This record gives sequence, C-alpha cells and structure tokens, in this order.
Amino acid sequence: MDIKSLSKKSKEVLSQSKDLNSLEEVHKSLLGKSGDITLKLKQLGSLPSEKRKTAGKELNILKNNLQEIYQAKKQELKRIESEKKLQEDSIDVSLPGRQIKRGSIHPVSQTIVEISSFFTGKGFSVASGPEAESDYYNFEALNIPSDHPAKDMHDTFYLDNGDLLRTHTSPVQVRVMEENEPPLRIICPGRVYRKDSDLTHTPMFHQIEGLLIERDASFSQLKGLLEDFISDFFGPDTDIRFRPSYFPFTEPSAEVDIKWKKGWLEILGCGMVHPNVLEMAGIDSKKFTGFAFGLGPERIAMLKHDIPDLRAFFENDIRFLKQF
Amino acid sequence: MHFSENWLKEFIDINISTEELCEQLTMLGLEVDGFEKYKSKITGDDSIIKLDITPNRGDCFSIIGIARELSALNGLKVNLPKKEKVNEVLDSPIDVDICDECPRYVGRYVEGIKLNKKIPPLIIERLKLSDIRSIDPIVDITNYVLIETGQPLHAFDAKKLPNGLSVRFANNKEKIDLLDEQTLKLSKDCLVITDKTKPVALAGIMGGLDSGISSATNSIYLESAFFKPEIIRGKARRYGLQTDASMRFERGVDFQLQSYAIERASQLIMNVMDCNFAPIQTFEKKKSIPKEKKVILEIEKIRKNLGIDIKDIEVSRTLKSLGMKIKPTKSSEKILVFIPSWRFDISIEEDLVEEIARLIGYDKLPSSSLSSSSRKKVDFLNENIVSNLVSLGYNEVITYSFVDEKEALLFDKKNKMIFVKNPISQNMSVMRTTLLTGLLSSFRYNYNRGQESIKIFEIGSIFSKGKKIIQKEKLAGLVSGKISDIHWSDENRSFNFFDIKGDLEVLLNNDFSFKTGQLSFLHPGKTAIISLKNKEVGFIGALNPKISDSLGIKQEAYYFEIDLNSLPKNKTKKFSNYSKFPVAQRDLAFLVDKQLPVSLILELAEEKSGRNLKEVKLFDIYQGKGIPEDKKSIAFSLFWQSMKGTLTDEEVDSIIEDISEHLSRQIQAELRS
Repeated sequence: MDIKSLSKKSKEVLSQSKDLNSLEEVHKSLLGKSGDITLKLKQLGSLPSEKRKTAGKELNILKNNLQEIYQAKKQELKRIESEKKLQEDSIDVSLPGRQIKRGSIHPVSQTIVEISSFFTGKGFSVASGPEAESDYYNFEALNIPSDHPAKDMHDTFYLDNGDLLRTHTSPVQVRVMEENEPPLRIICPGRVYRKDSDLTHTPMFHQIEGLLIERDASFSQLKGLLEDFISDFFGPDTDIRFRPSYFPFTEPSAEVDIKWKKGWLEILGCGMVHPNVLEMAGIDSKKFTGFAFGLGPERIAMLKHDIPDLRAFFENDIRFLKQF
Repeated sequence: MHFSENWLKEFIDINISTEELCEQLTMLGLEVDGFEKYKSKITGDDSIIKLDITPNRGDCFSIIGIARELSALNGLKVNLPKKEKVNEVLDSPIDVDICDECPRYVGRYVEGIKLNKKIPPLIIERLKLSDIRSIDPIVDITNYVLIETGQPLHAFDAKKLPNGLSVRFANNKEKIDLLDEQTLKLSKDCLVITDKTKPVALAGIMGGLDSGISSATNSIYLESAFFKPEIIRGKARRYGLQTDASMRFERGVDFQLQSYAIERASQLIMNVMDCNFAPIQTFEKKKSIPKEKKVILEIEKIRKNLGIDIKDIEVSRTLKSLGMKIKPTKSSEKILVFIPSWRFDISIEEDLVEEIARLIGYDKLPSSSLSSSSRKKVDFLNENIVSNLVSLGYNEVITYSFVDEKEALLFDKKNKMIFVKNPISQNMSVMRTTLLTGLLSSFRYNYNRGQESIKIFEIGSIFSKGKKIIQKEKLAGLVSGKISDIHWSDENRSFNFFDIKGDLEVLLNNDFSFKTGQLSFLHPGKTAIISLKNKEVGFIGALNPKISDSLGIKQEAYYFEIDLNSLPKNKTKKFSNYSKFPVAQRDLAFLVDKQLPVSLILELAEEKSGRNLKEVKLFDIYQGKGIPEDKKSIAFSLFWQSMKGTLTDEEVDSIIEDISEHLSRQIQAELRS
C-alpha cells in the first residue's frame, strides 16, 4: 500500500473507533511494535536513498499526525465513557431524604425562656423555690391573713401534712428577700396550682414573677420596664394600658392590658411591694422600695401561637408538641 | 356586681355613653366585665353593667359607692334621694342586747305590714337586673336598699321576738335553721342574733327560718347593723353560704350608714303600704365602733413614688373629692388625712399614693427606665440539657404534678406518698413520687391515638414524705417504638436499651457509671443504676412487662430518671492541646467468661494501656460456634497517640503484652489470634 492510501485508511480507522479498547487496538495495529507504520519505518532502510528521504519524511509526518488523532480520540472517548458512567450512577432525587428527627421544646417552656431572657438582660437573676409551701410563705408573708376575702381569689389545694401547693410563685420572692440583702432583682418562673378546672383554667399552670428592691424603685420605673417588655415581646406597635387593681402584696397595684384583635386583654399584674411584705421579710421599708409583677406563660403562649385551648398544653399530644 | 345603668345615673348626673362610663370605671380600678343593652318599659334604654369588684373595695358594692367614685373623677356631686318623714307613732316593744363585735345595731319596729301589696315594678326590674329574684315587698325593699346603699338589712317577724333580741357568739354545736331551710351546727366563733334563748339569724350572713316574715306577718323589726369584718370573714365560706350580705360585711360596710339605710327602707315601705313606725332605735358600744382613721401623708412621697410633679393643693383637692378631710400639720411637707368611714382599704401612706394615682389615671403617669445592670446567666432554666435532648429527638412534655393513686401505687409505697386533701378529681389525688406516672400517661394518650413511636422527656419535681415534704427535681425520659420513621433505604428497627443509654451518655460525662440493678417496675434483666462518684443519682431500664401489660401497652418501653442537680453544669470550655503525631492502633480479641461485664474487661485493659492511650472501642462480642459454651469473645481496638513523638512498634507491643498478661491473671482471659 502506498503511503497516501495508508494515511487515508489509518486516519479513518483511528477516528472511527467506538471505545477505548478498540482505539487501543487500532493504535497498536498502526504504531505498536509490529504496527503497519512501525513496519514501514523499519523497511525504509531497504529503499533507494533518494526515495528513502521523502518516504521517511512522509512517514514521520503521518506517524505524528496519527499520534495526535489518537490522543484527541482518546480524550474524547474517555470523556464519553465517564459521562456514561455518571449517567448509569444517577439517583432519583425525588426520593425522600433521611432525616434525623429533632424533638421539640414545650411551648410553655419556650415562652418562659423567652420572657426570662428579656429580664435577665435587665439584670434579673432567676430564682426558684418549693412547690409544696407553707401557709406562711404562700399567704401570711404576702399580707394575706387567714380568712381574708383576698384568699377567695386563690382556690388552694391543701396537702395531708398541712402544707399547700403554692397558688403563685410569690413565696419564692419572700424566701429570696429573707435570705438576701437588697438591692435585689429576681424573676421566679415555676408551676403553680389552683383548684379550678374549665375551658380557661387548669388545676396546674405556670407563672413568672419578677421582683425588684432598690433604694428608689418607683412606679414609673415599673411602668417603663413593663412597657419595654411588652414592646420587645409583642412588637413595638402594641397598645398597652395600665389600670388600677388589687393584690394584697402590692400598693399601688395595677393590671396591664394589651390591645389584642378587638379588645383589651389582661396579661400582667403588678404593683409596688406593700411595706408590710418588706417588713415581714426583714427589709426596712423606710430605706427600700420595690416593685413586683407576674404573668402567665400559658396565656402568653396562647396569644403568640394562636392556641385556642389551654388544656392542650397538658394533654401532650405529640401532634401538638411537634408544632413548636 | 350587676346593676342598671339608669339606677346609677339617678345618683350622678353624668352625660356620657355606656362605653365611656365603663371605660371610666375600669380605669378607676372597678373593672367592667362587660355590659348588656336592656330596653326598660319604665325607664327606656338601659344597660346592665357587670362589675368585677376587687376584695379591697367593699365600699363599691353599691350604687352609691360607684356613684361616689365617678363623682370624684368627674368633679360632680352624688344626688341622694330626698328624705321624707315616716309616720312615727309607735313605741318599740323590742330591745336589743349587743356586744363588741356588733358595736352598732340600728333597729325599727313597723306595724301594718301587708305582704299582698304590690311593689313598684321599677324595684322588681332593678332587682332583676342585679340578679335578685322578687320574693315579697319587704324582702324586695331590703334587697333594693342593700344594692343601693351597700347596707345589708334584715326583717324579723316581730311577733316571734317576745323577749327582744340579743347578739352573741354561738355556743358550741348550737343549731340554727336558716331561711334556705338547711340546719347548721355552729362553732363558738360564729356571731348569732338570738331571741335571747335560741339563734334567729347567723349574723351578717343569713336570717333564720322561724323568725322570718311570712304571709301571716303584720309587724316587723328591721335590722341595720354594723358587724366587724373580721368576725364575718371566713364563716360564709366555711358553711358554703356566700350571700349578698356576707360579701359586703366581710369586706367592710360603712359604719356610719346604718340609720341612713333604715330610713331609706322605711320610706320605700311607706310608699308601698300604709304602715305605722316606731322611732329608730340605736344600740351602740361606743368604744368598739371603729375610730375615724388618720394617715399622715408626706406629699413628697407621692412625687417620688409616682415620678410626677404634682402641687400640694392638687393632692388635697383630689383627696377631698374622695370624701377625705385634710388638716395641715406642724411640718409643711406633711398633711393629716382623715379617712371616710366607708374606706376600709386605706390605712397607710401608700394607700393614699394609689388614690392619687387612680384619680390622675395610671395611663397618665410617666414611665422611666431602670438603672442599668449587667446581664445575668440563666442556668436554672436547663437550656443546655433541653437543647441536647431536643437534638436527640425528644419532645418535651409537661404533666400534672398530681396523679392517680392507683397509678402511683405501681411505683411506690403508699406511706411514702403526699396526698392532696381536696383534690379536683380522684385521678389527681397524690403528688407524684416519680415522673414515670406522667410520662406513661402521656405515652398512653398518644399510643391510643395511633402514635406508637415516642421519645418524650419532662423536667419537674417529685414529692415524698419526710419530716418535711421532700421535693426533688428530676429529669426523666420515656422511649418506645421504632427508632425512625419508615424509610425506603433503611431497615426500621425498634429502640433498644443502648439507644437510650447512648442518649444519656451524650448528656452525662465519664464521671457517671451504669451498674446492673433492680427496681420493681423495671425489667429485672434490663435495668441499670446510674451513679455519680459512687452516689446513686438515677436509673435506666426497660419497663417491666407486667406494668406495661396492665396499662395495655404491647411493646417495650424504656425509661430513665436522674437527679437534675447531678447533671454536669454548663461551664466555660477550656482549650486542651492535641497531638500532631500519628495514631497507633491495635485490635485485640479475648476469650472470657460469659458472665463478665464487658465494662470490667475494658477497664482492666485501660489500666495497663499507659498514659498515651486515647480511646478504646469495642467492635465485636461473639458467642456460639467455635467458642466454648461458657465463654464469649470480646474484640476491641486501642488507640494511642503521644504528644512527644511517633510511638514505635516495640513500645506498643510491650503494652499489648502487659494488657494480655493482666487480663489473663485477673480474669483468666485468653488472647485470641
């Protein structure tokens, strides 16, 4: 075969290879040890000298050409093959993923943490105390003598040893006042109990109470603090109103309402600590004044999350809990 | 208290809408619960206003009391009905003995009572709007005066009182038949009105049955008394007899009101029936009548506490509008304030501060900010523990602290339990002695609703008997069902003991140990006691099948409970250095006695592993073919790494020799391969 037709044929065969294996074979048959081109080159020596020169030149050009074609073809086939491999390796991305199931924090706990973190930011420490309390800490030390009509506001559970289940977290405040010197800033979240059960009451619920005792604590500071809290928690556009109320342990006393949907909704009780309460806890009411406030996390969680029924908090239906 | 708006407006000339009126009352501290429009055939458009009166404001339990508040706020005067003389032609045959607890008793004898007379429809309508049923003209009039003035009145059939009346304490177990036809056995602290032998009324609470008026009555004796609040307090509640009278007496009835009220009732009676009256009789223990209260007020205190700039004269004017009298004192900063007889709630300066604040309006008082103080850390709220548990897939529950006695008895002895004396229902009568009761009932609630896989936890107190009640804060978890949702790529196995133990290992640190233990309500072969430095702090195990069977749970459930205080505290983390040199690893397998706990074998291996040991990882436990029946094969990897250099094979080989010798000597372990 002359060089011309060999060139044509071998270029054709190389570029028509379908896969890497056949390409390698063709390459070997052309440029391998006993390949057509290699053989031709070996045979150059038997040619007359002037023919040898031109033939040698042509053959070397052809060899280089074929090498280039081979390399290019190899690259192309490699790319096709790896693309094919990836094609075969593909997955159905519409299948569901594998999740590590996260649990949930009870919405009441979340609310307690959220409220507490506002007040801890203002320098209030978190305090706690017993849920089974004595009559003294739950009532007497808070200026609620026995038989006082104010006791009707608290339907109390009594225990068989004579103690009771605290009806509010205020006993914690008394204990803290007894054990510490003012100035004091504390908040006391916890469970409280009242003998009441209907659509809007459960026999156990939570309270967060705050207490501040300082030399010049004033009603205007109380107002300012609670206004800040409400705007932080419910948003700066929330309408707030303070109105007079009555708690035996504060004087003056107030309740705080926020405008919610159509009407006013009570969310907090507060007031200046009654001097009797300070004195009973061993604090000089001439030197120190204080204020206290209390709020119900359930009620606030209901507002925040649009929960229609208080009782859902204690049924612990997983379908409820997982929503928060 | 419910009342007719038109009735109130007879006493005060105030021309504002019902909405505004309610707003004013609420902002004065007399919370309006709402109002209802009412079309009256007698007075035209009217509204029923529903007031929620706080226990300190007994003085507002009347139309006049409410009018007084509005008059102070609006600078208006209270219009009292015109006084008319009644026909005073009789002598009273009745005499009343009183005591210190009833220091003023005003009575009037009336003849010519005809109970078949028609009472004006306006009285009936107004009583109806105040939720009071019409009974007969005399009772209706006493009720009308009660709502109007706040003074409870009582009418005795005078014929039943041949010896007059006497007010005294009851004798022990003395009986009385009340108007509502129940018989009470009284105790010595109850004040009664007697006919000088037996009780004819429970003072300030309810009249007696026999001495009451009936269709046969033609003469009555009207009672308008002042009883000390502390004597009435608690009694009505004790006997379950909250009445319109007791509610007012225990909060305090104006001690100057008795004659006015009886005159008002007399006029109304005279308008309905043609009666003859005896003059009013007043019996008094002067020394026991409350004294007019005086409070010294430092005006600066108002400015400081409320943060306002108010003039002295403004303070005086406001206090006067509330019926107080003011006198200057020697000090120009202080005034002497005389408290009106109807205000039982005012006795100290702070009370006057509230009065000023109320009349200014709480909303008009300024706000100010606190002095700054640094942020406090909230460790108490267990945020770290909770967030770990949530990452591990636990849902937090909150369950009642009181549980069903029957369920509590599954876990503890009765003599350890604290009982609620007045439970709201029988299934909430015992304080929980373990959090398991609540977690199990939450599990059952969900299980019965088709939710069979659950991972829940609770943080809360448990209670047990001691010299004082012992309250301990616990963390508990309950796990049951499948480890994950059904997934196309995984097998879906159930939770086992080691899943839960693993969760605890995330929460705890190496100071805690797990040792085989026994608890009556847990599976005897799948229970561990958790200890911290040799002190028991909790337990973990599978629920004993006899308990789950009795609760209708047909799958294994795991439970743990641990002292909350024992859990590692969230400390600031300090950096500890790590090695740059390669890790040396060796895998070892030993044949050991089948009964030996693996933890013991690993501990022994660790003892001889030198200080460069980084980790021991158990990777296989094998029993069965090729292993003697009383043995098991334990395989584990050891990892060493030095801070100082690369460990040589010789160093590691010598450690392996030590370990193998030690295990062989201590527990006859045989090194395999």
